[in-house]
Amino acid sequence: MAETVNILGPARNRVDGRLKVTGAAKYSVEFQVPNCAYGWTVESNVAKGKILSIDTKSAQAAPGVLAIVTHLNAPKPKEPAAKKHRGQTDGIRNEERVPFSDDEIHYAGQYVALVVAKTIEQARYAASLVKVSYAPEEPLLTMNAAKSSATKPKGSFGPVQIKKGDVDLPLKGTSLTKIEQIYTTPTETHNPIEMSGTIAAWDRDDKLTLYDATQFVKGVQSVIARAWNLPIENVRVICPFVGGAFGCKGAVWPHVFAAAMGAKAAGVPVKMHVTRRNMFVGTGHRTPTTQTIALAATRDGKLRAMRHVSHIATSPVGDHVESCGARSTGMMYESPAIQVEETLHKINVASTTFMRAPGECPGTYALECAMDELAYALKMDPVQLRLTNYADNHPVKNVPFSAKHLKECYQVGAEKFGWAKRNPQPRSMRDGDLLGGWGMATKTYPAHKMEAAAKVMLRADGSATVQCAAHDLGTGAYTALTQIASEQLGVPFEKVKFELGDTDFPFGPVAGGSNTTGTVGTAIHEVAQLLHKALADLAVKDSESPLYNLSSNDIAMIAPGHIGSKIDNKKSDAYIDILRRAGRGSIEVQSELKEPEENKKMAFQSFGADFVEVKIDPLLPRVQVTRVVSVINCGRVVTFKPARNQIIGGINMGIGMALMEATEYDPQTGLPATRNLADYHVVTNADAPVIDVTFVGEPDFAFNPIGCRGIGEIGITGAAAAVASAIYHATGKRVRDLPITPDKLMDIA
Amino acid sequence: MNSSDDEVPGDETPPLRSSDAFHEILIFGSPETRRRFLKQVAGTSVAITVGSPLSLFAQRMSETAGGSAPSSAATLPLRLKINGKDVAVEVDTRTTLLDLLREQLHLTGSKKGCDHGQCGACTVLVNGRRINSCLSLAIVHDGEEVTTIEGLANGEQLHPVQAAFVEHDGFQCGYCTPGQICSAVACIKEGHVKSDDEIREWMSGNLCRCGAYPNIVDAIKEAAAKSA
Ligand code: FES
Ligand code: FES
Repeated sequence: MAETVNILGPARNRVDGRLKVTGAAKYSVEFQVPNCAYGWTVESNVAKGKILSIDTKSAQAAPGVLAIVTHLNAPKPKEPAAKKHRGQTDGIRNEERVPFSDDEIHYAGQYVALVVAKTIEQARYAASLVKVSYAPEEPLLTMNAAKSSATKPKGSFGPVQIKKGDVDLPLKGTSLTKIEQIYTTPTETHNPIEMSGTIAAWDRDDKLTLYDATQFVKGVQSVIARAWNLPIENVRVICPFVGGAFGCKGAVWPHVFAAAMGAKAAGVPVKMHVTRRNMFVGTGHRTPTTQTIALAATRDGKLRAMRHVSHIATSPVGDHVESCGARSTGMMYESPAIQVEETLHKINVASTTFMRAPGECPGTYALECAMDELAYALKMDPVQLRLTNYADNHPVKNVPFSAKHLKECYQVGAEKFGWAKRNPQPRSMRDGDLLGGWGMATKTYPAHKMEAAAKVMLRADGSATVQCAAHDLGTGAYTALTQIASEQLGVPFEKVKFELGDTDFPFGPVAGGSNTTGTVGTAIHEVAQLLHKALADLAVKDSESPLYNLSSNDIAMIAPGHIGSKIDNKKSDAYIDILRRAGRGSIEVQSELKEPEENKKMAFQSFGADFVEVKIDPLLPRVQVTRVVSVINCGRVVTFKPARNQIIGGINMGIGMALMEATEYDPQTGLPATRNLADYHVVTNADAPVIDVTFVGEPDFAFNPIGCRGIGEIGITGAAAAVASAIYHATGKRVRDLPITPDKLMDIA
Repeated sequence: MNSSDDEVPGDETPPLRSSDAFHEILIFGSPETRRRFLKQVAGTSVAITVGSPLSLFAQRMSETAGGSAPSSAATLPLRLKINGKDVAVEVDTRTTLLDLLREQLHLTGSKKGCDHGQCGACTVLVNGRRINSCLSLAIVHDGEEVTTIEGLANGEQLHPVQAAFVEHDGFQCGYCTPGQICSAVACIKEGHVKSDDEIREWMSGNLCRCGAYPNIVDAIKEAAAKSA
């Protein structure tokens, strides 16, 4: 099979493209639900303390108001935390507390009341009339302030703390070239353009339908069903389209509970569209990080020790761990001694969550900047330094990477970019009045496998419908999974309909960890085998079939639309003929949900390299990224257009991280001071460079039968480091504190 | 509450575009403030000439201000042409054009991405010009022509900009896309497509957090070339 499948899938247009360009694609809060009322929240303006009183009288009397939910009257879910059930199938909570469960305030912006009214305007106006008084306490707003209660978390999708060999000796010795620097990244907020939102509709008291903007319909179903003590099938979650997520729609956040509570209290369905303002508080963000990296290398550039010490944060009711060091320094380069340490601080700022490449993204930023600094200390080309420390085996697990191809990424990237023409001397590559700089960095993201099942219905007209409760966040899952279904089932692409985003379908995993295509693709692969077996079972009993009386075990798909004998290749039968002769309009099979098999003999990890050019007007001094070449190996690329787009999008987000993104907090109140898109800057069209994306390598069939390792997250990794290194090359100034805004470059002229 | 034509000024008076005056009236807290404000407005005819909706609104408000529920919002009749169809609705004066489209008329193609005029997801064409519909009260558009993403295609045939977005994969999640496309239609009409950089600049009011910008530029270039 490996010979017949090209690394690049067809350059198809998206199957959902037409729906998206005509406005017909329905996102969660756009479903028409009769009698739907609107929810509007009231948020705490203190960061820590207790609610003393809530006066809802005038709000209650305002026109259109149907209900007001506070901790005093909230319909309480029965099993609030459900902490013990945290497996892949049980949903994700990055905030353990259910909203309105008591009078405690853990962070500013926490929901303290929900007003339900007939229209948005009425709900919003009435919410402004709710008066809350607090007994504020001194909040802990920074990691430094929360030092005493800091912990060393153990696991978060793999180990967080790592110790291999002894780093102290080489780092203390004098014979090696060493660097040690502190890199900081601010709080970053996902800000997908679709704000989170939920419509909750109860049917009597025990059936709930949620139209929810989520990366995990089955997770929402599980969490909410357990919280309200309902049989799981009584909760249905629907989400055919997600307007971007980047991690902030993976966990079940307070507004989902709130919508269900509001609907229960008001006796009508409730729509809650989280405001952009509350997207900075109520749906997670990436933790700020402080990362100290120490490297020691021989004169010829061989690493002898790497130490990566990180500090991260979450709220007192949060549990997310951003594993920076383990997911970068813990796997990237060959070194006899590697030490990774990470400390979690609980501060009175809203809960953190995973954001695109959690761990890898800030981790590779720090590590790859440090590698650039080491290259300069050694007077060595940055690409050469990486090649010198190339790891064929996973440096900690000590097993080979399945198919790494990173050398090829460096070579192809350097060539396309013209890296050989780089003069390493800072400030040496001017373009008229502008300072020019070139930087590069390694990208990486692991391959994740989760659980999924799929159902297929093949019809006598040769068309098929495949279902799995998966998600398309803009990743192209609809298109990629249609493509995989077409290949695996042996049904033409145009005749396959892939459906997702509904808990009535078989289990689909969280759309996280870049796992959807591989995981759901594997489930499709399995259900295709079942379908072929079911067709064979019909054919071998049918005296008119060329396959009559053969053993169905000797039969497999031999060509699209046909099964045939594995022994005698002249014997075959067409799907449609089998169904027609059997008098069947259709045939339906479903695969079982089972734990994925882990191959522990190899490490499955994607790699890539970014080459970046920046131009800086020294007088302003604003950084413009003008050109990026990115070369990626992620196994098979199932559909080229959406895959390329994912890399472009990841790099643009990495540029935003490098140059402009930061959620700032008011040091007095703990409220985000940047709570809208005018203050929290993301890359605009004018900021976005030309990005050349190339995929290299081979399908990774050792990982799964589709050969793909995922594409959604690797794009952002390394990008910020490549930009920061290019800025150093352009200016001679190292800025280690992101984002690199003009104020930090004022002295470069 | 009936609207009558003589309350609507002629075309020579530019309609009030900014919602600031309404904002003032509507965000304030107490009914007293509002009555005071309305009295002031009633006493200054100059203020009223800024546009029909305000004067209409002021009149309606003074009719209801003495009524039983001072905090109850006023509704007014509103007539629009949306995607070529005449629409007549009764609208809360606080309702934005975006919420009117999405919540009352169920035209959910126009997206809410910020509700603050900062992302462009809600971009629609009003009398052919691109505006952020979240930043504009519905009532100020009485008598105007609105084109939303739902009104661009000609039956089954996509508008050239829509077709180019599909071909160039000018989106990922698709949530900014209706706004990008409406904006691009106007951008081409405005003639701001002479270079890639010009397109980038004039399309920068439409954020795409998925970051599909290079593909958006390619799509607009192609559509512009075809329409030239
Ligand atoms: S929703 Fe109108 S500009 Fe963002
Ligand atoms: S396509 Fe997702 S925001 Fe543009």
